[in-house]
Amino acid sequence: MSSKTIKSLQADKESYFTASQSQLIWARFKKQRAAMIAAGVLVFIIVIGILAPALSPYDPTIAGRDRDYLNGAPQIPQFCDKNGCSLRPFIHGVERTRSAETNFRWVEEPNEDIRYYVEFFVEGSEFDLFGIIPMDTHLFGLEGDEKMLHLFGTDSAGKDIFSRTLHAIFTSLQIGSLGVLISFVLALIIGGVSGYYGGRLDSIIQMVTDAVRTIPAIPLVMSVAAFVPTEWTSEQRFFMIAIILGLIGWPTLARRVRTHLLTERNQEYVLAAQLCGASAPHIIRRHLLPSFTSYIIVDLVISFPYMVLTETGLSFIGLGLKDPVNSLGVMLQNVTKADVLLNYQWYFIPVIFFVALVMAFVFVGDGLRDAADPYSDAKK
Amino acid sequence: MLQFGRFALMRAAMAFVTLLIVSFVVFSLMEMVPGDCAERYLSYKQTQGVAISMADIQSERVRLGLDRPFITRWSTWVMGAFQGDFGDSCILRVNIADLLGTKFWISLAIAISSLVLAYSIAIPVGIIAASSRNAVLNNSLRIVSYLGLAMPNFLLALMIMLVATVYFGETLTGLFSAEYRDAAWSWAKFVDLLKHAWLPILILGWSATAFALQTVRALMSDEIGKLYVTAAKARGLYGAKLLWRYPARHALGPIVNSLGFDLNRVFNELPIVALILTLSEAGSLLIDALAKSNDQQLAGAIIFLLTASIVTLNFLTDILLAIMDPRIRKSILR
Repeated sequence: MSSKTIKSLQADKESYFTASQSQLIWARFKKQRAAMIAAGVLVFIIVIGILAPALSPYDPTIAGRDRDYLNGAPQIPQFCDKNGCSLRPFIHGVERTRSAETNFRWVEEPNEDIRYYVEFFVEGSEFDLFGIIPMDTHLFGLEGDEKMLHLFGTDSAGKDIFSRTLHAIFTSLQIGSLGVLISFVLALIIGGVSGYYGGRLDSIIQMVTDAVRTIPAIPLVMSVAAFVPTEWTSEQRFFMIAIILGLIGWPTLARRVRTHLLTERNQEYVLAAQLCGASAPHIIRRHLLPSFTSYIIVDLVISFPYMVLTETGLSFIGLGLKDPVNSLGVMLQNVTKADVLLNYQWYFIPVIFFVALVMAFVFVGDGLRDAADPYSDAKK
Repeated sequence: MLQFGRFALMRAAMAFVTLLIVSFVVFSLMEMVPGDCAERYLSYKQTQGVAISMADIQSERVRLGLDRPFITRWSTWVMGAFQGDFGDSCILRVNIADLLGTKFWISLAIAISSLVLAYSIAIPVGIIAASSRNAVLNNSLRIVSYLGLAMPNFLLALMIMLVATVYFGETLTGLFSAEYRDAAWSWAKFVDLLKHAWLPILILGWSATAFALQTVRALMSDEIGKLYVTAAKARGLYGAKLLWRYPARHALGPIVNSLGFDLNRVFNELPIVALILTLSEAGSLLIDALAKSNDQQLAGAIIFLLTASIVTLNFLTDILLAIMDPRIRKSILR
């Protein structure tokens, strides 16, 4: 063996022993195939969500409706038809008819002689990318204004379901992050106080926390959400729902924080800090919390999908977000009607994205949990 | 025996205190709603053409006892609630206990059946999964569990509705056929209920199964590696007998303990599933009470009843565990 390889081996060992906590977690995380795939999917969905206004061809609100294509079927761009092929994808024009044959329901008949070509980077409605950069270029669309492209079809008001789905992903990410943030802060304060001081204060806080945890959260949230006045704006409702989600999410995390603090607060380094005259908040913040940051991050990732699902459920029954805001729950509000179930199944397309989003979060959360646990290798 | 009695008594006291705290939270929430019963009654009278003044509202408040301090009203409400009397709903103007009646028991029966279904699948399958080294079996079970977690029940209910309507032309909704809806209870009505209730039970059991499967598998994998199992193996035990008599007994303890939280989860999903399948039980009554009429008395009563059944179940499982496992009743009493 040459001296060079021995040196590099030593360097490997060296880097292993001096690796920071996050480097170790990343190294273990990389080994899990399922979690890595899920992480890829997750990043993809998050990017889609953030870039939603630029990726979606139309405005997701009523302003971007297509008057001539209500409850329209999805249009899939194609390259070939009976009139030959083209390199640029196109869709066919449609003619709407209704008669006694179709029960007087509007039915679209594709007209294969008219072609509308798909163009990229077209100019369309104006929007602010990341909320600050004004733009009006959309990734794709149709040339001209007389026809619109609906990849996932349209709903009963003629709103483009594809655009709505992308915006809904962003809404879910926002509301999930906000809810997680609120529950995180609450959990840190309550769990921190309970765990650091211990004793009688701890018992009282734990008893109340346990009692609150036995109340089924969704019925409780429903009763709180029902009190939100109907005249509130959609932004106010949005923050209200996020706060509610945060309020029901904290007990699990608070318990974890408390249990950890109870074991850590008797360690020597805490005593040392106390003898130096450090205040309680300072010790909690600077000495105790960093000792289990990785666990907190894992818990936050795991609780995220439940926030998203709760919001979806609430909006679905009409107690969460309302129409101008797009979220999966809002989009699914009308699908239980027999008419939709029988004739307009494309209303369900967004569900696929959300199951993917939630699955990705669950897998990444599990992978992170295994990676953050230093004994996970020994167990297996 | 005396020791056990003390343990049971202490647990009962703890359950009672929990219920008191819960009732306080629920009652405070009910009070937070803008507008009280006096205003509701009188605004109804106003629609009938009677002129109403502030003094009228005030005297109505006195008549209903709404002018008493918060704590007094709360204690009256709690006393009634523990006896199953929740007063009248001031929007529907009927006694809440009469209104809920069998609806609550049907909801509870559906929720508990779905838990029974979940565990009767999860326990055997989880044990097999933990003890076998078959990668295909383990991975497919893992994917099923994750799907169960990621696909919320209401989406599953929607999908089943979609498939049922498109391919079978049936809607599968409701709890009773039309002819039994208002009929008195009879054997025929009960059979009819069973014919309709399997779908909500299945849907609610779906994610509970996924959850339970993961727990059973994790607990069993932990126990199977322990020395006492190896020792039992060395004595010549094998197969199902080994699994049931040694690791399973230890692994099932925490599961019995978590039943209360499982019931909590099922209750969380019940109202939304009830809405989709248009069931007429307590869950959908809650949605009616909240989404349509803002009926805080009814909502408070339902939430209290749901929580009370969870607390009761927790109490029962604690007692059951103590009977099964002497370590637990000793640890509490120390």
